[in-house]
Amino acid sequence: MNQHPNQHKEHSAEVHIVSYREHASTFLALILLTVMTVTVSVFGADLYTLTVLTALAIASAKAVVVGLYFMHLKYDPKIYKAMMAVVLILFTVFLILTLIDYLIRP
Amino acid sequence: MDTTFVLPNSGHNRDDVSSKLGMWLFLFTELLLFGGLFLVYMVYRFIYHEAFLHASYDLNVWFGGVNTVVLLTSSMTVAMSITAMQKGDILLSKRLLWLTILAAGIFLVIKAFEWSAKFSHGLFPGMEHYSTLPNGERLFFFLYFFMTGLHALHVIVGAIILLVVINAIGKNRVRQDKYMFLENGGLYWHLVDLIWIYLFPLFYLIH
Amino acid sequence: MSTTAANADLSFFQVARGIRSWIFTLDHKRIALLYFYSIVTFFLVGVILGFLMRLELIAPGKTVMEPHTYNQVFTLHGVIMIFLFIIPVVPAIFGNFFLPIMLGTDDVSFPKLNLLSWYLYIFGGALALLTLVVGEGPADTGWTFYAPYSVKTGTNVSIAVLAAFILGFSSILTGLNFIVTIHRLRYPGMTFFKMPLFAWGLYATSWIQVLATPIVGITLLMIVAERAFGVGLFDPSIGGDPILYQHLFWIYSHPAVYIMVLPAMGIISEIIPTFSQRTIFGYKAIAYSSLAIAFVGYFVWGHHMFTSGMSGPARIVFSILTFLVAIPSAIKVFNWVATMYKGSIEVQPPLLYAMAFIFQFLIGGLTGLVNGALAADVHIHDTYFVVGHFHYVMFGGTAFAFFGGLHYWFPKIWGKMYNIRRANIAFTLMFIGFNVLYFPMLILGIMGMPRRYYDYLPEFQPLNVISTVGSWILILGLIMMIINFIQGYRKGKTASQNPWGGVTLEWQTKSPPPLQNFHKAPEVSEHGPYDFK
Repeated sequence: MNQHPNQHKEHSAEVHIVSYREHASTFLALILLTVMTVTVSVFGADLYTLTVLTALAIASAKAVVVGLYFMHLKYDPKIYKAMMAVVLILFTVFLILTLIDYLIRP
Repeated sequence: MDTTFVLPNSGHNRDDVSSKLGMWLFLFTELLLFGGLFLVYMVYRFIYHEAFLHASYDLNVWFGGVNTVVLLTSSMTVAMSITAMQKGDILLSKRLLWLTILAAGIFLVIKAFEWSAKFSHGLFPGMEHYSTLPNGERLFFFLYFFMTGLHALHVIVGAIILLVVINAIGKNRVRQDKYMFLENGGLYWHLVDLIWIYLFPLFYLIH
Repeated sequence: MSTTAANADLSFFQVARGIRSWIFTLDHKRIALLYFYSIVTFFLVGVILGFLMRLELIAPGKTVMEPHTYNQVFTLHGVIMIFLFIIPVVPAIFGNFFLPIMLGTDDVSFPKLNLLSWYLYIFGGALALLTLVVGEGPADTGWTFYAPYSVKTGTNVSIAVLAAFILGFSSILTGLNFIVTIHRLRYPGMTFFKMPLFAWGLYATSWIQVLATPIVGITLLMIVAERAFGVGLFDPSIGGDPILYQHLFWIYSHPAVYIMVLPAMGIISEIIPTFSQRTIFGYKAIAYSSLAIAFVGYFVWGHHMFTSGMSGPARIVFSILTFLVAIPSAIKVFNWVATMYKGSIEVQPPLLYAMAFIFQFLIGGLTGLVNGALAADVHIHDTYFVVGHFHYVMFGGTAFAFFGGLHYWFPKIWGKMYNIRRANIAFTLMFIGFNVLYFPMLILGIMGMPRRYYDYLPEFQPLNVISTVGSWILILGLIMMIINFIQGYRKGKTASQNPWGGVTLEWQTKSPPPLQNFHKAPEVSEHGPYDFK
């Protein structure tokens, strides 16, 4: 939480520049994960729940990479990560509570 | 009597941090907007998992996969565009933005191709074949069109925003010392990529 | 607008004149008043609809309207009162006007977005009214638009739902604006824990506005899509689950009630210290409880669906969570009362409304717990007990807090004072009228009278008559309050800068404030916002 008055000097020399190389590495990691998920799906077995969970896990890994690196969350003030975490927790609880209804219906 | 009085933290000053914070808050709303649809998807996939599996065979993994790669590439180009701007390489920054928009175009073309294939099979809600499908499959295709459609709308909007950014760079309103608009445009674009990252496995990789 | 050249001798009213200076303003104070006039107008339409409903219910059978019309009236009453009145009333009016001033700044973070929020409000409101005059008339589904009926009925559901969608955007943008404003524009020295509690209430509310509203947005779009394409998302006859609609709807609409009440509680936290002339008891507890209510409030939505067909475990989980969310609310009530204890109490209209709030919110909150208890809810769900409950919290709570805020901040906004004696009489009428109107509903509900019913068994009539008479007393009080304000505006005595002895920053500036809010640098006390020396 920002307790200082906003000042222009916040903006001057402190800018963190992500190199082209780092962006390219991020991209490669994402491609790798994509290949993984397609491979598991096309050539893997039908494991129902495990299939979904694996796919979601890989997708989430990609999302985290995009968020942390492309969207700069890794280098931003912690508050952005905190807010993102709250949003994710919220949404996850929505899914869980709703699932509690559907999973245990007679 | 004219008293001049300036509040140091005025809402009328330029404040890049506010701008970024505001953009993130807006992204949260978009995440939750799509979140509602993902919730619906989760429920109906749980109830109709056989039908969802069966219906998903109609989708082509390779088209979906190529589109995924296209969007990931576009995320890289827009991120690099910001790097270029930060380093003062205005020309490269604009070129990377054009590449991003090109990627958006490719994505939409592939999507249009996929959709028209479905139309020709009568699979859109309201069409002949669609109405003969069992319930679970109808729900699958409705969600497919609704979610990829809403996503495509966001791709279009994102591309337009980036066009506006390019224009602003041309008019020197986005520059090395003032590029929040470009950063925010990039953030919006990454959101578009993020949503597809989840849409892809949930619709194309069910088995 | 240049902050360096504005003349601080002029009030914000005087710096520009004419309708264009209002419709295109970027000044948060003018935007607040634009909202004020539009919201009050819609409120009065909602009151008239409520008046007609009570008239119909004074006797069993048909009294003044047909059954189908009655369904449309209570639907429109709900849509207007919830989306056009209660949700925006405190944030859009007092939040817009006073948040920047209380924080010691000259405007919100995004003034243009603020104006857009108002435009969206007007557009949404116009669409809602449009349903009255086109096609088969206003929706008759209840403001909750439950599927499958909402998908099948021929009334103007799509337009009503699109209106709600647009109003949702208005709400989201306001919340977004306030969050950034609070994070970035506090005066030097004003940490988060030196902000007035009204700002804390708005902060918690804004997070709900931003995070919960999109879910109802997409749900409403699904209703439109289903009406257009007949997919079967929520239609059981073709494989859909109507309970899924309810999940989606209430995931927003329950947090929405905290959007309604948190800012109102913020007003009470401002009024009580001023009229007790001492600092609030338990500042941090109240601040944290606002966040706690917002957070836990996201997870209780299933208590609207106990009798719909959810699984047993789901019902138990939601019931437990519902009981948890009552705790931070109770903390606030205790702290307000503790603030008054041994304070230097001055009974003025704002305090009357604040005390009425505490009394009525207590009844509303306790009846909420009754609703939240699984076994009891089976008996009272969809009865008049629920109607009584939510009117106690929303009207007896939020609306009364709004009226209290009006009486509190009227002199600051308009620089005039209203007639205190008439304000007290109007309050008395409203307090009596309100309780006579709504308390019988709690009894009727336990006796078994269903809600949203046009007709009822003869044994329910006596209490219905009492309730309707209560509505007349209440409306009399409302009219008197409104006339008193209008007369105060036109002919009232000039108000001093600080007629009530408040110590938050708005009392350091002129009445009405100048364009950029202050004529000299605001002084932020190091002892916190309620520094009564």
